[in-house]
Amino acid sequence: MVRTLALIGMLLAALLMTVGCGGKKNVPVVDNTAAVVTTAPVEEVVEETPVAETQAPVKNYATMSPQEYGIEDVYFAYDEYTLGAAAMATLTADAKIMKEHGDVVYLIEGHCDERGTVEYNLALGEKRAAAVRDYLANLGVKSGQLRVTSYGEERPFVAGSTEASWAKNRRAHFARP
Amino acid sequence: MRHDIARDILATTLVLLAAVAPAAAQDEYIMRADRSAAELTDILVQPPEVQAGGAEARAAAGAVDAVIRADLDYSGLFRLLTRDQVAGKTPGHYRIDGVLEGLPTGGATSPALTLRLLSEPGGQVLLSKRYQPGPDRLRATAHHFVEQVIRMLTDLPGISLTRIVFARGSGDRRDIWCVDYDGEGLLRLTANRTLNLFPSWSPDNKQIAFMSFRQGQQGTYMLEAATGAVRLVGETSGSNLGPSWHPGGQELVVALSKAGQPDIYRLGLEGRVIRRLTVSESIEVSPSWSPGGRDLVFTSDRTGTPQLYVMDGDGTGRRRLTFEGKYNDSAEWSPRGDRIVYACREQEITQLMLIESSGENRRLLTDASWRNCEDPSWAPDGRHVVFASDRTGVFKLYVLDVEDGSIRQLTKGGEPDTTPDWSQ
Repeated sequence: MVRTLALIGMLLAALLMTVGCGGKKNVPVVDNTAAVVTTAPVEEVVEETPVAETQAPVKNYATMSPQEYGIEDVYFAYDEYTLGAAAMATLTADAKIMKEHGDVVYLIEGHCDERGTVEYNLALGEKRAAAVRDYLANLGVKSGQLRVTSYGEERPFVAGSTEASWAKNRRAHFARP
Repeated sequence: MRHDIARDILATTLVLLAAVAPAAAQDEYIMRADRSAAELTDILVQPPEVQAGGAEARAAAGAVDAVIRADLDYSGLFRLLTRDQVAGKTPGHYRIDGVLEGLPTGGATSPALTLRLLSEPGGQVLLSKRYQPGPDRLRATAHHFVEQVIRMLTDLPGISLTRIVFARGSGDRRDIWCVDYDGEGLLRLTANRTLNLFPSWSPDNKQIAFMSFRQGQQGTYMLEAATGAVRLVGETSGSNLGPSWHPGGQELVVALSKAGQPDIYRLGLEGRVIRRLTVSESIEVSPSWSPGGRDLVFTSDRTGTPQLYVMDGDGTGRRRLTFEGKYNDSAEWSPRGDRIVYACREQEITQLMLIESSGENRRLLTDASWRNCEDPSWAPDGRHVVFASDRTGVFKLYVLDVEDGSIRQLTKGGEPDTTPDWSQ
């Protein structure tokens, strides 16, 4: 039941996102919402907002891993670099935190699953990182805070040749530069 | 000059290897074509006659003989005859013999090794080469002689003096390595604890261009084969992917994303942009020049899936090459110019594919039992292709004879080997 509610909430958020951003340029178009919703981990969206607000403000965010204060990675469909609804919702939360720490610089790493060729995956990873950067910039994050790089399929987060492993490896990861 | 590639930095390594290296192993074939009925040149190889030096000299002669046989077999052009076959029914054939005057010691007074190619019957000497190899140069000497034999008999380049560069390692650490075409002489060329990928030999085999994260982000670097010295060619923000050489040897072609997404650029050896060849919002990577330097084949996903395209050297005249398959990448133009090898991903498996440069006669080169086969690179003979396959669970390098389907394993060990490039 909780899961169903979360899913409904997520779809609602996605719908709002899509409508809200319709007039802006450079926002990737969601043309495969259904497919993305099923592959993205539901939990990613569930715990989106409160984290930044509950963090103690005395910490030095520039030396912390972005994940320690609520910045979350986003995930992609196979051979895709457009952002799905779940990814957009995550980035909306990420952008809020990033804007609260306007002096912190983030390195957006594009990653791919092991399928496909080394070179094309490096290019694909960069497109993913760039899509995330552009989306965050559209949400008002300063461009000076965002750098991109790609590791293609070279640095997987989890081993294994199952869809579950692949899905975790198709991500844009936030790191300290 | 081919045998001089990186040999200088190898010299001490080779001394050690030569002492323990077994005769070239026939068991490196994973799949072996039946060559009994093929159109092959008959040849009888006799070990060099030893005049002095005892058992050690005989062992040296045996090593030379084994390398000559292995090289001729590898070429795919010859049928190696036995003495009985010659005594019986083969009328016309070639014969290799030689003389080793004593135990090789190296230096100016080292006993000579003479190797000959003769045509039979009649015993006409077609080629005679006199060498003074040190004990560490016996393999190189045999390779050199076979190269002369193949050039004389076919008028085409052989491959026995060639080498393959590749990336070895996993995770954050990939180094550039080099290996002789027969799997001997393995050598690591970089050791910088970062990602180094896509090594590419210059047409004169003196330099290796590659991509590295050695300064934290992707850059294009150049390694001098003779000294191991590395210098930065160019580093732009974002991707600096897959350098490969113009056949003239005076420029590179790379995919740079400084304009926002990977596009293909011609780059001078000092990093200056000579010309931007593609302008689009899509991914454009993996360029490879035709041997004449007129056209390039490359990958673009402008239709939504990666496909191969050909364009003129100035970026105009773009035409699509592949229409079948949803994932075509890693094309390399054959040194003969008539065909292109590439990687095609279908049904969750990447396979090697061959297509004529006109776009016709697509042919599958590998099968699904080989799991993923990636990053093909042509040998200068236009017949052999080196590629990476994870058939054993880990990516290693293999060599395919495109004409008869034979496959040999080139590298061994537990670490992944990827992105190979075959020297000229």
